[in-house]
This record gives sequence, C-alpha cells and structure tokens, in this order.
Amino acid sequence: MKTLALVFIALVAAFAISGAAARTNATVTVYAAASLTDAFPKIAPGAKFSFAGSNALATQIRKGAPADVFASANMTLPKALKKDGFCSKPVLFTRNTLVVIVPKSNPAGIKKIYDLTKPGVKVVIAASGVPVGSYTLQVLKNMNLSSGVLANVVSKETDVREVLAKIALGEGDAGFVYSTDAKTVPGKVKVLKIPAWAQPKVQYGICTVTASNNKAAAAAFIKKVLSAKGQKIMRSYGFLPRVKPKPKKK
Amino acid sequence: MSRRRLRDGLLATLFFGAALIAFAFLALPIIAIFTQVSPGRLVSLLGKPIVTDALVVSFKTTVAAQVLILLFGTPAAYLIASRRFTGRTFLVTLVELPLVLPPAVAGLGLLATFGRFGLLGSTLDSLGLSVSFTQTAVVLAIVFVSSPLYVRTAIAAFQAIDPDLVAASRTLGAGSTRTFFRVVLPLAFNGLAAGEALAFARGLGEFGATIMFAGSLQGVTQTLPLAIYEAFAINFDVALAMGALLVAISAVLLFTLRLILSWQPSRRTSPSLFAPLS
Repeated sequence: MKTLALVFIALVAAFAISGAAARTNATVTVYAAASLTDAFPKIAPGAKFSFAGSNALATQIRKGAPADVFASANMTLPKALKKDGFCSKPVLFTRNTLVVIVPKSNPAGIKKIYDLTKPGVKVVIAASGVPVGSYTLQVLKNMNLSSGVLANVVSKETDVREVLAKIALGEGDAGFVYSTDAKTVPGKVKVLKIPAWAQPKVQYGICTVTASNNKAAAAAFIKKVLSAKGQKIMRSYGFLPRVKPKPKKK
Repeated sequence: MSRRRLRDGLLATLFFGAALIAFAFLALPIIAIFTQVSPGRLVSLLGKPIVTDALVVSFKTTVAAQVLILLFGTPAAYLIASRRFTGRTFLVTLVELPLVLPPAVAGLGLLATFGRFGLLGSTLDSLGLSVSFTQTAVVLAIVFVSSPLYVRTAIAAFQAIDPDLVAASRTLGAGSTRTFFRVVLPLAFNGLAAGEALAFARGLGEFGATIMFAGSLQGVTQTLPLAIYEAFAINFDVALAMGALLVAISAVLLFTLRLILSWQPSRRTSPSLFAPLS
C-alpha cells in the first residue's frame, strides 16, 4: 500500500513537471495544409507541424487546439477564423494549380481529362469541405464535366495526400491533386494538365492563432515563409509566387 | 496507534481519490458529447442524409461481417480449443494479432493483399472482382479487426466445456456433428454470444483500416465513424450527433453483453472475457 502510494505520488509529480516543461517550450507549432507537408519543414526545420486537411485544422483551432500558426490551402478558412476572432488577418503566402493524376500503369487508359467520364473509371477526389475538394468541383464545373465525373467518384478523401496515396498505389484510376503533390511521387503517377482557363484561384493564407501564447515565434515563422529565402524554397517544390507576375506592357 | 490510523486513512483517501479520477476521466468525454448540443437538436440532426446513409452502410457492413465471423470464426475457435497440435500457440498469437495492431497497419495489410496490385489483386482482377472502394472492402476491414474479439472469446468458451459431457454424448451414440450442435454449441452459447457482441461493437467503430482500404463515399463506403470524421471538419454538431448515436448503440451492446454473461452463472462458460486460454 505504501509503495503504491509512493508510486502514485511520483507519477503525479512527473506529470506536473512534464506539464510545466511543455508550457515553457518555445517551439512554434504550425497547423498546415497537407499539401505543405514537404515544403514547410524545409523552411523551418525546428518547428512542430501538424499536417491535415485545412478544414479539419480550422475546426481543431476553433476547439482550442494548441496551434500558433495556421496555414491553409485557401483564404476562406483563415478569413472565417479571423471573422470569429480565432486568428489574425490572413496573408496570402503562395499559390498553386490543380492537376489530374493517374497511376503510372494507367489501368483505365486515361489520356485526357474528358476520359474521366468514361463508365467504370475510378475517380478519387477530396471531400468538398477540404480546399482541394472544392477546387476540384470548380474545375469540373468550369469544364462542364460535373455530372459525368462525379458519377465516377469512388471515394472522397479527407486531405489531398490521401488522394495522392490512393492513386500512387494504383487503387484509384485518376485523382485531382495540386501540381506540387504530384511532384512528390515522381515515377508513380502521370500528370495530366488542367488548362489555365479551367483553373480555380488556389491561394494559400497564413495567420497567427489568437489563442497562441507564442505569438513572437509565430510571427517569426510567418516572416520566414514570406522571406525571399522561404519563397525560393516554396518555388523549388513547385508552388507559385505569392503575387502573379504582371504581364509586361509593351 | 493513532499515527498508524492516520497514515492508513491518508492512503485510503489517496487510493479512492485515484479511483475517482479514473472513473471521471473515462466518463467525462462520453458525457461531454451530450452536453455540447441540446438533446432535441441532436435528435433532429440525426435526420440528415449524411447520418442516415452512414447508419445504413454501417449496419449492412457490420452485419455482413459478423455473419462471416460466425461462419468462419466458430470452426477456427473450436479447432484451436479442442485440439493440441504443433504450432497451436503460434496460431493463437496470429489470431489475436489484429487485436493489438494499429488499424492503420490493418489497412496497409488489406491493401497489400486485396488491393489492385496486392498479393491477390491480379487473381481477383482476372475474376472480374475489384475490392477496393466497395462495400466488400468495408466488410473485409471489419472482419479483420473485429474477428479476434469473437475468436478468442469463443476459444475460451469452448475450453470451459466439461470434456466429460462431450465424451458422454459420444459414448451415448451421438456423432461428432450431432455432439457439436447439440452439446458443445449450447454449452458454449453464452461465451459465443458475448464474443459476438464485442466483435459487433468493435466492427461498428472500425475507422482506420476502412478509410485506408475502402475510402469514404457517402452511401457506399462511408460508415458512421468515417462520416463523423468528415462532418467533424464541416459541421461539428452533426459529428456530435453521430457520436452520441454510436455511444448509445455501443452502450446498449455492452449492457446486453453483461446480461448475457450473467444469465446462467451456473454454466461453465468462461465468466471472464479474458480468461487464460489453457
């Protein structure tokens, strides 16, 4: 009994100490869109990251998750968080484009995007609440393919990397991802470009979480992302510059 | 004397305090699901298509999985319980392994087996069967993760049967088939039912292997846990409503399990779900 009590007290003490240690930790915690999985750790190797669908992350932040920075694959989610007082005014930090990917073996023999409407093609997209999912719906609408392709959808995944995995594995016949995701699995997928006129405006927004008690580190992280060096790293992963280069006037 | 009493009293307080914290820790998250949204709204949210579709998919796939588990798991459990053979311990470990494996590993294994480019993928493909993204995939995932709960309980139930009763049945002229159905099965019934209730509850909650192997599509492969995950990021209240529903169903299942186990305490079926195997 006595030993048990001692063990119990020791455990409680250990918890208390570890809790105190966690509070004084100054590492910045970044909640970031799944598509940033490869690029962000290169920009700030020391930061802690939680990568998932931006909408899942936004919900977690609303429920009090210990995030310092929120980096979303759209502007809508951080703007909504700002409106409800959960984060600072979001800054556009990068842009992206959508592509269609098919497995290297291309089991459904897809040569162009219009082939996705052929009966029996297994199309994998992200759920409509996920930014890439709503961008996918915009592309389909722009190309007038909504009903044909949506009838072939076999799964709606929770983030873009899940779509990527299902196609890279060859389970699905075709999927919609960001061009930057397709680049992370070279040799496993073939990329079909989506014409510029059908592209949605894919803008990434970043903000400081209001409840963060690590705001200086959060601001420093955002500065790093926006810096010339950070932007160069983003571009090396295929992300587009923050601002569209203006066409030169003649 | 009084110092000793004081010390004992203090230790007892600590002990009960710890127990109280344990109970509160387990109960609070479950109670909290019901406190965030009013009961009336919870019930009204259950009428949403995402919920009703998921409920149908969940029940269809779980029931199909449980039928398979009973049909294939019962003979497997009886074989392990009634025979002594080399490799038996290995087989028991194998059967129990999915119980402790992370569901993500189960998902990987199923993909590597039944996926298009898996071990059996090309065979299935040539038969015109494609498993991934279908309800069959959901059923397979549920069978894989929940059958160990049934099989291990069934093994214990079969082992608890008095071998003299089986021998008596045989000497009285009943064949092995008749003995199994008329003596063994009735005697083991409570244990089998308990194992099945556990497997059913676990199957209903299956998430990781399903989302990896079967994907998630409303009305096809989106079970209640998958729908909760999707709704979580879109409409938290709907997720809560489905969570409350699963809590209620699981509670009823576990309560039924307790009832089954206490119905005939005189029977020699295993009173403990985790009774030693031999």
